[in-house]
Amino acid sequence: MNVKPLYALIVSILLAAVAGCATTADNAEPRQTKSGQAIRIEYWTPFSGGDNQFMTEMVERFNREQSDVLVVQTNSRLDDYYSRLRTAILSGNAPDVAINHATNLPQFVQNGYIEDLSVPAEEVGLDWSVFNGNIMGSVVYDGHPYAVPLDTHALVMYYNKEYLSAAGLLDSSDKPILDASEDGFVSFLRRIQEAVPSDVAPLAQPSTRIDSVWLWWSLYNQLEGGGSFYDEQGSKATLDNPQALRALEFVHELYASKLIPPDINDAFKMFYDGKAAVLITGMWGTGAFEHAPALDFGVVPLPTIYDVPAVWGDSHSLVVPTKHGMTDEKRKAIMTFAKWMVEHGEKWAEAGHVPSMTRVVRGEAFNALKYRSDYAATANFVKYWPRHVRQWSTTEVLIREFERMNYGQQTPEQTLKIAAAKIDAELKR
Amino acid sequence: MKRKRSLVRWFTNQELARKLILINFLLVVVPIGAMGVYTFSSFENAMEKNVGAYQLQTIQQLTLNIDTYMNELNRLTLSPYQYNEILEYLSADRKPGQPLTLEQIGHLNGFVSKIFINGRIDIMGVSLYGEKGASYVVLPDSQYVTSYILDESAEWLKRAKGLYGQPTFITTHQIKSTSGTTYDVFSIARELRSFDTGETIGYIVIDIDPAAVRGILQQVNLAAGESMYIVDQQGRMVIRREDEDLAPPLPGELQGQGVRHVDASGGMPESLVAYVTSPVTGWTTVSVVPVKELMRDSHKVRSSMTLVIVGFVGLAMLLNVFTAFRVTHPLRKLSRLMRKVEQGELQVAFPVTGQDEVGRLGGSFNTMVSKLSELGYLLYETEIREKDAQIAALQSKINPHFLYNTLGTISMNAELEGNRDIVTMANNLSRMLRYSLSSRQDIVTLKDELKHVNGYMAIQMIRYGERIRFLEEIEERALGCVVIPLIVQPIVENAINHGLDRGVGSGLIRLTGSEKAGVLTLAIEDDGIGMTNDELERIRSRLRQSKDLGGKSGNGLLNVHRRILLHYGEPYGLTFESMPYQGLKVTMTLPAVR
Repeated sequence: MNVKPLYALIVSILLAAVAGCATTADNAEPRQTKSGQAIRIEYWTPFSGGDNQFMTEMVERFNREQSDVLVVQTNSRLDDYYSRLRTAILSGNAPDVAINHATNLPQFVQNGYIEDLSVPAEEVGLDWSVFNGNIMGSVVYDGHPYAVPLDTHALVMYYNKEYLSAAGLLDSSDKPILDASEDGFVSFLRRIQEAVPSDVAPLAQPSTRIDSVWLWWSLYNQLEGGGSFYDEQGSKATLDNPQALRALEFVHELYASKLIPPDINDAFKMFYDGKAAVLITGMWGTGAFEHAPALDFGVVPLPTIYDVPAVWGDSHSLVVPTKHGMTDEKRKAIMTFAKWMVEHGEKWAEAGHVPSMTRVVRGEAFNALKYRSDYAATANFVKYWPRHVRQWSTTEVLIREFERMNYGQQTPEQTLKIAAAKIDAELKR
Repeated sequence: MKRKRSLVRWFTNQELARKLILINFLLVVVPIGAMGVYTFSSFENAMEKNVGAYQLQTIQQLTLNIDTYMNELNRLTLSPYQYNEILEYLSADRKPGQPLTLEQIGHLNGFVSKIFINGRIDIMGVSLYGEKGASYVVLPDSQYVTSYILDESAEWLKRAKGLYGQPTFITTHQIKSTSGTTYDVFSIARELRSFDTGETIGYIVIDIDPAAVRGILQQVNLAAGESMYIVDQQGRMVIRREDEDLAPPLPGELQGQGVRHVDASGGMPESLVAYVTSPVTGWTTVSVVPVKELMRDSHKVRSSMTLVIVGFVGLAMLLNVFTAFRVTHPLRKLSRLMRKVEQGELQVAFPVTGQDEVGRLGGSFNTMVSKLSELGYLLYETEIREKDAQIAALQSKINPHFLYNTLGTISMNAELEGNRDIVTMANNLSRMLRYSLSSRQDIVTLKDELKHVNGYMAIQMIRYGERIRFLEEIEERALGCVVIPLIVQPIVENAINHGLDRGVGSGLIRLTGSEKAGVLTLAIEDDGIGMTNDELERIRSRLRQSKDLGGKSGNGLLNVHRRILLHYGEPYGLTFESMPYQGLKVTMTLPAVR
């Protein structure tokens, strides 16, 4: 018998057996999770109005629409946010991308705490000229953009249509009938006070925290010659002046006359629950109020009580903290996310903010939103806090002193004097 | 028993090649198969055990990690003890919603901020409750609230009360911010007590985003189909991994730690469940692996093992069949040849290729067949010769009575006439005829045979008269030997023919006989013309080789020689000695049998 076919048979059987093993090994190999390939981006936010749910929705939508980048959002309350962020940066644990208020940028731009975004923006094709000029100005330092502006937000005046109409203070287009002057505003609130139940605040403003400071800064800037904060060197406070006092006295009068009831903690919730006729707060409340089931409200820009329109405002922007281990790949992923965020400004506008991109503000989607167009123009006369590296601390000083005033522990004059002295001391440190 | 016997019989009757194949099959397949089954089942058991141990170890480590994190939170709930203002606030009599002073706001806010900042980033809310109506609750996205009152029926509260200040962990639940957003949190609660009075002052509750713990869970690389989650004492889900869409089924009460094999029930597949209850939270970390998934790899191993075994067994069987047929092939050929031989075909030969048993068997077969064919020929020849002899006898028997009577009548008439020669000749002839015709018996004594020769010679003497002389010298003891009939007379006849008829003058015929060493030797000599060497050689070779029967007309000597050979075999028979003109001596050797 010829032996060759037998060998061929043996070899082919062995080969088949080996091939069988090989294929089973192949099948076992590829089992990797999907998120394993995506670049994970830590994202910190300080939203504590109604706007956080909108931010969360946007992040979720971004994560859904693409699979290369996975953004993980961590929200803290604004009260603790900057302490936390500063500690994180100093301890090398900074997030990959964080929300920063334009007001706070100077302290982060100093010492290179956040990255210059000129080059990374160019890489993902983010054109800086698409932003509103006023907003863009707030993020450029020495000609370099250090943050991607998301929005402008400023104080606006929300009003409960039910109560205003009961007081006969609504015109045919459902706008409040209001004489824009100190007396006019006071009598507006008095007429409301007379028309509403005693547990409803004519004007709701918290006695604590920053709200009264914002109102004062807005009114101070409406006055001719107002708005001065530091001297030219930025080493001394200049806010103990007649204009500042006039504005502050007016704010104090609103509290003292109980047109703003005492001991208010959560004014936002009061208006949301229908326990306030008028609320002066940031425009970020719009989206949340729209979701309030029993609330029929309107919103207008803050009335110009004095000489020129002016209102406190700030801007949310995205910054990239400088840290060890940041790669170009990750930086690109962050900028892709930032670009997506500004291009989807109309979604962010649902929270109530005015988007940073001119195209979005002019676009149909934004203008189709109720209320927003009523205050979109506000962005043009927003008064930011002065650009100063200690601004965060000096504002904290103002808050503490204003709280004392609101609780009747000191007069407006004393408040300004003490605040100026404390700020001077703070600046010298 | 019967079946067994019939099976054995069936097996015994199988062809040799089949037997070999069957035996090899049993020897190869049964042990390998049994080994495969045993190996795989022990492998499977060992694997389940190992996986269970590994699973348990994994979740022990995991629980330890989570506990470390929980202890960190736990320490945070102790912080109110470091702030007298907080304890005072909680101890005070307060109406729900009663406004706070600026100092209280400062202290409370500062305290909560410290917890938020010093604690982990995933702290979502901090709540302080006083026994006498005080509260300070901070929820995500919300300002503090002071209007909450303790819900005395809350389960966690009841639990916290019995723990002497130990913390209690509250299963994942939802909290709602003032803007309406809901958040999933789990909580840690602790009863706060006054050292001086020993009474309960209030409670602190910290709400935590489960994402961090989920992150710890998420770090574990799960096996396919494995689910991992944490349940509380009541078996309610606390935290599960993001990548598990459905709440995994809960396999009953699990406390302590261990590995359990759970059979399939109610939509839950047969699974291996490992669990560890944390001493810190009292929650149980559970890992469930469907056995099917667990064994998926081992099933792959099994199939490849089976494939290899089947492959090799197949190969072995192939070789086995091949060798079985190869080994039995010569046997089958031999058996075929045997059958031919059986049918009488003797011209066959088995090609012997080796010196193994089969080769030797083949050789023996060949020898046997050749012997058989020779033997057959001899038998055949004997039969023919017997027949010839009988035919010859029959021919001479034609009317023997008539011949006897005739010879009797001749003898009587010659007696009356007084002719003694005719009487003698007729009587001798009659005796010779009787001997020849009655010699159906195979053996006679030498004495009888010599009597016959003497009768013949008496006739020839009368015929040749003085020209012939006949000498007979036989040993007395040789006379009793048994011989074949009619073997001496033809030789004597030949001697007369060759020695006398061709010669001239008188001739001597000499018959000598002796018995020595078991051999009977008879010699018949004449003194005739003898034979030349060539003639002698020719006759010798005819004796040696020819199977020619001599025929009716053939040489009588040849006939006698063949008959002796057939009857007694070698080396008996006739030998010739002669010289020209010296006569011929024919020597006959026979075994001396009595």
